[in-house]
Amino acid sequence: MVKKIERDRIQDIAAALMEKGTLYAPVEDEEGVNFHPVDDAARVTLDFYNTVQGPKCAFFPQSDELVRYRMTHEGPEAVEVLPDESPQILFGVRPCDVRSLAIMDELFCGGGVVDPYWKNRRDNTTIIAYAFDIVDPVDFYGSFDIGAAEETGADILMVGVGGEFLLDARTEKGTALLAALDGFDDAAEGDKKRFAAAVKKAGALETRRIDTDGVDRDLMDIFDSDFWQREAAPCLNCGVCTFVCPTCHCFDINDETLFGEGRRVKTWDSCMFTDFTLHASGHNPRTKKNQRLRQRVNHKFSYYVTNFDVISCVGCGRCTRFCPVNIDIAGVVERARKRAASERTE
Amino acid sequence: MKGIEKRLREEAKILLDAGTVSVVLAFRDGHNEYCPVPFAARDVSDVDAIVFNEYCTHNLARYVTEYDPGTKIAIAAKGADSRALVVLIQEEKVKRDDLVILGIPCAGMKDARRGTVIDETTTGGTLNPVIYDILLADPLPETDTSPYGVLADLESQGHDARWGFWQREMSRCIRCYACRNACPLCYCDPCFVDQNAPRWADKSPSLASNLMFHLTRFYHLAGRCVDCGDCSRACPMNIPLYLFHKKVAKECEEMFGQVAGMDPEGKPVMVDFKVDDSDEILI
Repeated sequence: MVKKIERDRIQDIAAALMEKGTLYAPVEDEEGVNFHPVDDAARVTLDFYNTVQGPKCAFFPQSDELVRYRMTHEGPEAVEVLPDESPQILFGVRPCDVRSLAIMDELFCGGGVVDPYWKNRRDNTTIIAYAFDIVDPVDFYGSFDIGAAEETGADILMVGVGGEFLLDARTEKGTALLAALDGFDDAAEGDKKRFAAAVKKAGALETRRIDTDGVDRDLMDIFDSDFWQREAAPCLNCGVCTFVCPTCHCFDINDETLFGEGRRVKTWDSCMFTDFTLHASGHNPRTKKNQRLRQRVNHKFSYYVTNFDVISCVGCGRCTRFCPVNIDIAGVVERARKRAASERTE
Repeated sequence: MKGIEKRLREEAKILLDAGTVSVVLAFRDGHNEYCPVPFAARDVSDVDAIVFNEYCTHNLARYVTEYDPGTKIAIAAKGADSRALVVLIQEEKVKRDDLVILGIPCAGMKDARRGTVIDETTTGGTLNPVIYDILLADPLPETDTSPYGVLADLESQGHDARWGFWQREMSRCIRCYACRNACPLCYCDPCFVDQNAPRWADKSPSLASNLMFHLTRFYHLAGRCVDCGDCSRACPMNIPLYLFHKKVAKECEEMFGQVAGMDPEGKPVMVDFKVDDSDEILI
């Protein structure tokens, strides 16, 4: 089912979606365009290349309440904050970011322990993907066989063609949402052809590529190499890369208490931070920045592959774009592979 | 800039070859020409990889405190970098004798991500190194534009409007700590905000916890911040941190006649006392 709407009616799209559930959509702010829960349809925009941060906030907010508690004269009182069951719509997600969700599903609701907060939101969210029509030279999602108009994981795929957006449902959930939306026109036969042509054209877009075949083993081969000292020398150990990343998912659990009242929260953490691996004893097994940079690269390109048979990177290019000192993860991986190859021949 | 790059390579080669220093802090090419990467050249064979162009904006003094005391370090230092080195010398984080400062007078540096030219609106606008051992280009005439001019708009607003402005800006912080980690003078180990017993600020970003972090950092840098602007350039959320730092620097200058990082023999204003110091801040 293909539907269409004029580009300049983006606010009408947002307003229609807001009636169907909590809307997470790209919103223009001082930092650029970023995903936010939308309370004002007028602020939604599709005028961006990609958002500052990935869309993980819709499923894994930076701070997620698990328990509320307070001290009373009768003793402590605690109330569990149950996962939200209400419907959500995630709108305007680039195809590489859509893939990031399936990658994190492996951890949060795959074969092992299920995180009900993540799973409920995933089950209750309808995803409207938004195809790229140009390529930034920093992106490398093509390395992971993700197309610029990839539909995998999307409930609805949207493309911009001329003065219009064309939307086509790809799942039952997507069909149900699209059928229930007001203000959209049914597509004519010509529109369906234009949709197919746009998807085909976007499919021909090429990003830069890195060869990832066997990268997990290569990285283990150079684990103790001085390669990491050199690569990490410029690293500031700030958390920008991990906080803009659509697949970084490490978290901390903290009690945030004020005057005998508080909440237990799950917050984003970062392998770049000094307290990330700090033990209660005071010992920290990962005190140096080369160890921290290695952890981030290895977690994505080696450990995650060992655990879940998939690389935990989608090549969105955000960490490269936003790194204050211009560290490019694709370059690090390529140089690591070269180093591993040269060590093998020695 | 090409001339500076050539001179930088020449001096780095001489210093490393003679063993005068064990590391030269400079830049190398990144994934494209707009994205140079801070680079620690350790061997003569590294020297050809050194680059310098208008995108080499990072304050390399940030890296000096990572080395063991006594390490002989050569550093490519622009105006603000040299001022940060002065503060590090004043605070005995590094000895002047352990540094070979390769001074770089430069103007018109560019912020690649924002597509802007860096000037005294977002930095102190120091064009020439204030200390150096070797100057790699002729000194530039310093501009007479005040680095505090940009504050006029905010200063003309009332209390509620200014508080509203900072509430909006501070609420947007995602606590990635890029500002702190890019800062050459944020060398506390551990930073108070990373301590968890007690935890001084909640890990969840909120106006309250973000203010706890930023206000503490702003005031810890009072009289020390050299207005290099690296914190604001590092910020992925485009929070204009420089405005607060500039305001505090202006107060220090007006009240105590002190500009941070100008004199290695001087003291940062907060650890200095003179009987005729202003008592305006006392109630």
